[in-house]
Amino acid sequence: MNRADILQQVNAIFIDILDNEAIVLKDETTAGDVEDWDSLTHIQLVVSIEKHFKCRFSSKEIQSWNNVGEMVDCIAGKV
Amino acid sequence: MIFNSTPFVVFFTVFFILYWGVFKKNLTLQNLLVLAGSYVFYGWWDWRFLFLLIGSSFLNYYLGIFIAQTQNERHRKILVGIGLLQGLGGLIFFKYYNFFVTSFADALAAINVHINVHTLQLILPLGISFYTFRTISYLLDVDKNKIKPTKDWVVFFSYVCFFPGLISGPIDKAQLLIPQLEKKRVFDKAQFTDGLSQILWGFFKKIVIADNCATVANQIFDNSSTLPASSLVLGALFYTFQLYTDFSGYSDMAVGIARLLGFKITKNFNFPFFAQNIAEYWRRWHMSLTAWLTEYVFTPLSIKFRDYGKTGLALAIIINFTICGIWHGANWTYVLFGFLHGLYFIPLIIKGTMNKKIKKGPKTLLPSFTEFRNILATFILVMLTNIVFRADSVSHAAGYFRHIFSLSLFSAPVLTNLLSTITILVLALFTLFTEWMQRDKDHALQFAPATSNVTYYLRVSFICFLLWAIVLWGAFGNKTFIYFQF
Repeated sequence: MNRADILQQVNAIFIDILDNEAIVLKDETTAGDVEDWDSLTHIQLVVSIEKHFKCRFSSKEIQSWNNVGEMVDCIAGKV
Repeated sequence: MIFNSTPFVVFFTVFFILYWGVFKKNLTLQNLLVLAGSYVFYGWWDWRFLFLLIGSSFLNYYLGIFIAQTQNERHRKILVGIGLLQGLGGLIFFKYYNFFVTSFADALAAINVHINVHTLQLILPLGISFYTFRTISYLLDVDKNKIKPTKDWVVFFSYVCFFPGLISGPIDKAQLLIPQLEKKRVFDKAQFTDGLSQILWGFFKKIVIADNCATVANQIFDNSSTLPASSLVLGALFYTFQLYTDFSGYSDMAVGIARLLGFKITKNFNFPFFAQNIAEYWRRWHMSLTAWLTEYVFTPLSIKFRDYGKTGLALAIIINFTICGIWHGANWTYVLFGFLHGLYFIPLIIKGTMNKKIKKGPKTLLPSFTEFRNILATFILVMLTNIVFRADSVSHAAGYFRHIFSLSLFSAPVLTNLLSTITILVLALFTLFTEWMQRDKDHALQFAPATSNVTYYLRVSFICFLLWAIVLWGAFGNKTFIYFQF
């Protein structure tokens, strides 16, 4: 699976969890750019991403992501 | 030195002239002035604790640099651990040592084991809870690569002790304040006027509302066992007004003073009494502390408990708010206060609406019925919980609650000075009304440029009324703020 595929699938998870069809994620997208992406929904997103990609992140990894690109890189390193 | 005192006015006048007049052209000298001024401001209270403040700044400055330099995960952990040990260790020692020791002895006494404990005569260093949270967030953010450590010691030391927020917050994050300290500030007339307006509003809330409400609330809380329930309701109401106007008044003055110096520091209150549920209330009340706890306590906990769904979330929230409670002080009343607020989130967690932002329609003069009902219900919940916050002990709070839910609720309240109580109540409601009308602004006296002479003169009249109210009703005897003790 390449980065573009991962980003596409992550985008679909965001649309589902945040219930917003208009979300278009890019590498540089941050929580401030997406409505309702806050500390709480972030955890829901992480749980869904872990389930979807069948992987497990450490607390430090989750808290170190500064944007979607870093999240995708982390997923790419595990799948 | 507190904002509403003559020494501060003299200090700030001299500081302001030097800041914008003498050192304006040299950023390093201007920052050195901020640093020196902050130490004078702090040392005015007790110079001995300056050593703790400077020592903490010195240690965390180097820890930040070392953490960024090392790639070895174990070494980073040790360095962060040293910082946490110093920060939390100092906080626990000064603030909670006696509390833990006596609570431990009491717990043993409950099972008939009696031990002699040694308590210490400790003075709580002013502002320690606030500047410690700044240094901790700095180290954790450097460790997570969210920020790069500053190598300018003047900037870092000034960040830790920046005097507008040193004693009672806001708890500014390094990302916000350090870049402003590193950049040349430019004097801006509009910013200056806005800062002055915010200081005036904060001063009005503190001197006219908070300190007068305190007189009524203290009298009722000190005699709660002998007064009817209707008086106790008023006591809780006046204390709630006092707590809000005291702390938000201080924060308004802090933000305003920073504005006069060309800084934009963290907004600490966003009209919390207009919140429609408890989650929204905490997003509007003491916002810098809520944000800090969300980032460094709630988020790591909710990540840890993420496999347990709503139960894990509820657990994370309850722990988070219990810590929030105990942050306020070494008393079981604060622990209970935090725990209760944590519990209030459970219905929202079950319904899945905890973080749902309430959609705001266009600004209207009056709230809709649903809005009003939600606002009132949230206010009552907060007001009742503030009884626990204000009570001297858990048994005092329990007694207060026993009395408040009695038939004397329907009797006339007993008040020592009816006319003065009514005057204060009217002024407090006037304050809330003003904030309601300005609820889409950063503070109640923030205005867009006047478009007509009528608007201009109305605003000038309003400012004159505030000044007149300060002279007429201001309580100038009180020399402290509630949150100084935290």
